[in-house]
Amino acid sequence: MTTSRRDFLRGGVAFGAAFATLPLLSACGSDDAGAALDPSKSATDLDGVKLKVLVNQPNLGAWRIAARLFEQETGATVELTPIPYDKLTSNAIRDVQSGAGEFDVFQYWYVGLGDLVDAGALENLTDFIDERRAEIRPEDFLPSIYDPYTLIDDRRWGLPFDGDTFLLFYNQELFDRFGVQPPQTWEQYADVTRTITGRGGGNVYGAAVMGQQVPIILGCTFADRLVGFGGRFLDDSGKPALTSPEAVAAAEALFAVSPDALPTPLQTGFDQAIPAFLSGRAAMMEFWTDLSVMASNPEQSRIVDSWRPIQLPVGGSNTTHGTSLNAGFGAAVSTLSKHKEAAAALVQFQASPRSQETVIGNFGTGADPIRRSTFAAPEFRRTFGQAAGDVQAGLSGQPLVWPNSVGAVDRLQTLVDELALGIQGKQSAREALQKAQDAWERG
Amino acid sequence: MRKTPASLSWPLIGALLLFSAFPFAYLIGLSLTDSTLARPLNGFSGLDNYADALASTAFKSSLWRSALFAVGAALLQLALGTALALLLAIRGRRLGWLGVALLLPLVTPPVMVGVAWKLLLAPVGGALPEIADTLGSSGFNPLGSSLGAFVSLLAIDTWQWTPFVTLLLYAALLGVPRELLDAARIDGASTRQLLRHVILPLIAGTLVAVFLLRLVIAFKVFDIVYVVTSGGPGFATTLSAFDIYRTGLQDFQVGEAAAATVVFSLLVGIFVTVVSRLHKRVREVAP
Amino acid sequence: MIARPRRWATAVVTVAIALASLPLLYLATLSVRSRDDVLSGSLLPSKLYWDNWPDTFDAIDLTRFLVNSWIVALLAVVLTMALALPGAYYVARAGRAGDRLAAITMASYCAPPVVAVLPLFFMLRWAGLNNTLPGLALVVGLANLPVAVWLLDGFLRRVPREIEEAAWLDGLGHWATLRRIVIPLASPGIVAAALICFFLSYNELLFAISFQQQQSTQTLPVALSLFQGDRNIEFGQQAVASLVGIVPVYLIAVLAQRRLVAGLVAGAVK
Repeated sequence: MTTSRRDFLRGGVAFGAAFATLPLLSACGSDDAGAALDPSKSATDLDGVKLKVLVNQPNLGAWRIAARLFEQETGATVELTPIPYDKLTSNAIRDVQSGAGEFDVFQYWYVGLGDLVDAGALENLTDFIDERRAEIRPEDFLPSIYDPYTLIDDRRWGLPFDGDTFLLFYNQELFDRFGVQPPQTWEQYADVTRTITGRGGGNVYGAAVMGQQVPIILGCTFADRLVGFGGRFLDDSGKPALTSPEAVAAAEALFAVSPDALPTPLQTGFDQAIPAFLSGRAAMMEFWTDLSVMASNPEQSRIVDSWRPIQLPVGGSNTTHGTSLNAGFGAAVSTLSKHKEAAAALVQFQASPRSQETVIGNFGTGADPIRRSTFAAPEFRRTFGQAAGDVQAGLSGQPLVWPNSVGAVDRLQTLVDELALGIQGKQSAREALQKAQDAWERG
Repeated sequence: MRKTPASLSWPLIGALLLFSAFPFAYLIGLSLTDSTLARPLNGFSGLDNYADALASTAFKSSLWRSALFAVGAALLQLALGTALALLLAIRGRRLGWLGVALLLPLVTPPVMVGVAWKLLLAPVGGALPEIADTLGSSGFNPLGSSLGAFVSLLAIDTWQWTPFVTLLLYAALLGVPRELLDAARIDGASTRQLLRHVILPLIAGTLVAVFLLRLVIAFKVFDIVYVVTSGGPGFATTLSAFDIYRTGLQDFQVGEAAAATVVFSLLVGIFVTVVSRLHKRVREVAP
Repeated sequence: MIARPRRWATAVVTVAIALASLPLLYLATLSVRSRDDVLSGSLLPSKLYWDNWPDTFDAIDLTRFLVNSWIVALLAVVLTMALALPGAYYVARAGRAGDRLAAITMASYCAPPVVAVLPLFFMLRWAGLNNTLPGLALVVGLANLPVAVWLLDGFLRRVPREIEEAAWLDGLGHWATLRRIVIPLASPGIVAAALICFFLSYNELLFAISFQQQQSTQTLPVALSLFQGDRNIEFGQQAVASLVGIVPVYLIAVLAQRRLVAGLVAGAVK
């Protein structure tokens, strides 16, 4: 061998350095991205176009229905790729960042919208929507969700896909057995929980409180109480408002009920809470409206006739029932899509009354209305049954909006981390929220 | 004796450059810049990310927790594995169906291991708490308490890895020459003496080597934390690898996650160096 | 070896292994229980519910995930072995330089792979291999390299040096000696190491879930993790999918059991 060891190492270092610069090059030269979306151009001939969509796993059923309708109408083909909800934002960012451009349309969680826009992952749809006001009818979108789900820096980046709000569900049979009334306030909720757990002998618990330490679980649980006490995540000027008396009261209510809840809130996620409620072991739980569909399905529910939905309780001096936009979703066009007009057409189509009503009309899709007109549709009444009134009231009011600017996901994680330590008894509600407030203010 | 040509090492070195040196250089770059998932390498930021990582209670506490977990898991599995391997060796030279059973946990996907254990341990409806309930001890809920959750993860990891350790040590025990044992017996050595003075020194090299491998793998444990506890309750089971995953890929603070990885790697490096030294010494003194 | 075979040793080991297989047996019972029954909290099904099996194949494209997992694992093992064999041979025979290389290899195995996801993603994209089975196999194969070197090192050291020296006298170079003498002699150990790398590749989750953005190229652990994200949790289907994934691998383990153990016997003593 003539190559000496040193030569080789030198070569190796150069090789490594070359590789280290590659991502920069590839990031600069993502030349194969399609041209920017031309808002005036309509995708006239979609026949044979293939669109790839990144979707949230729990929403796959809804997407299948919307995609089939779109395919029938246009002749395009739609390929859906489901991923777990905790990877929805990061996979979309990575798809664009790397220049891979695998997808044409992203379903997104609105809390991650700021990060997606910051990553340059989403096509600006402002002009596209303006050009098509007559068809899209933005004024029909629920005012409570349209802006939070799509607007960043005064520009529109997508259209809503799923409204997604929370209700409180209870088990009438258990309530009758233990002689308690449906709670109107979080204080009553705590009393009911204590009563049932106390008399339940370890077989029945008053409530399943979902406290798993991720934003989409513990964040929802806290948000339900926050809106009940009349608090907000951010004040009107957009500054964190986590140390407000309402927020502290909400956290205190959460910490106080934890010892009486299904053991133990911090380990309770969807997979513990839902089965416990559906099998009659937990008398109450807060959840997205699609729990009503699961509860009505005899294959998975033992409480088909005894479940009831009510609006989330109120607390403190607040007397107006509200709900929280806990996991709303939108759909947007990838900046790397090679069929941007077609992708925009799909985004527009899935938000259309026809697609929305068909999706909602199917049991088990878990979709909630995004349009006012949907409340009048027979599909909505049929699917939501006894929950319809509360869903409409919640979405038509002023639901609690989560932050959606750059870094929102990180900030929410900090909040639930501090809340979890509080539930464990390691700090008071005030301490937990003060720490979260400090972290939010640092940005 | 001829010199071993360096060309033999090239494929490995090339692969290490590709898979380790390049990502590591990139990692250092990320840790020194203002980097989020959306905007990696977005302007030099000095040691800010390191300061952020070390200011994070979650990460700081995860370091000693990871060390405790890795050392604890490796020691526990080494002890159990040695005991089982001795029993197997006492049984005879053939494993038969027991060998098959030993391989089972090793080939099971960690995701599934996590799911199975989570269902077994679920406080309501889980099989083990229900059994504990019928035996008269209600409120059995290991995942609900900080200590219980940590111990549960140790137990699950031990369940998955002890068979592997057992197999390796069983193999080492079979390598102990029979004549040596017979000779010691004739000299009147008791079983305990035999273990201490003949068998243990002979397998010491393997013991340390297996300990090292287990230590490194246990430091990286991620899947079961992700599935079974998500790091909770509180931060009781937030091990470093999981915290780094959370910071980088869930909260998108890639720069901070990169700095945390560098710090964490240093910690692992210290442990590995110490054990490697030990390994070397054992190999030198081994007969 | 230490004493005559003893019955109690068998008994203790059997009990230990029975306990150890509990979670897997539980998994097997889950596959034939309805969702309702799973939550009753008993160890055994109250009624056999076979619908989970056809339902799983309806719900996900299990066959494709399985085929993908096999392709990735096989390609990865071939790559790992091709790179690790000469490397481990060097480590075993090159004295100090070998020890240094071993240390570097081990060091590269210490860092958690999470953050490598980002640069590796860029790398695959540059090579045009993102979202492909060979691309994932490349990453997974390289990731298992340290384990392979660690295992092979022990096996290769056991090959008597005299045999190699005889080969050199016959005019064979190191590469040829490795190929024609060392590998055949160490083959039981090599098979064992390859099998262990196969299992590791087959079960890999983090890279698979990060790189495989299309269902057509996803592996079984990714499919299993998708069950986790669902709000409608199908315990039974999840168990079915994992059993379908485990059983063929388990069969290999059974068939290769003697070789695996024999290989480890040859190599574990360092």
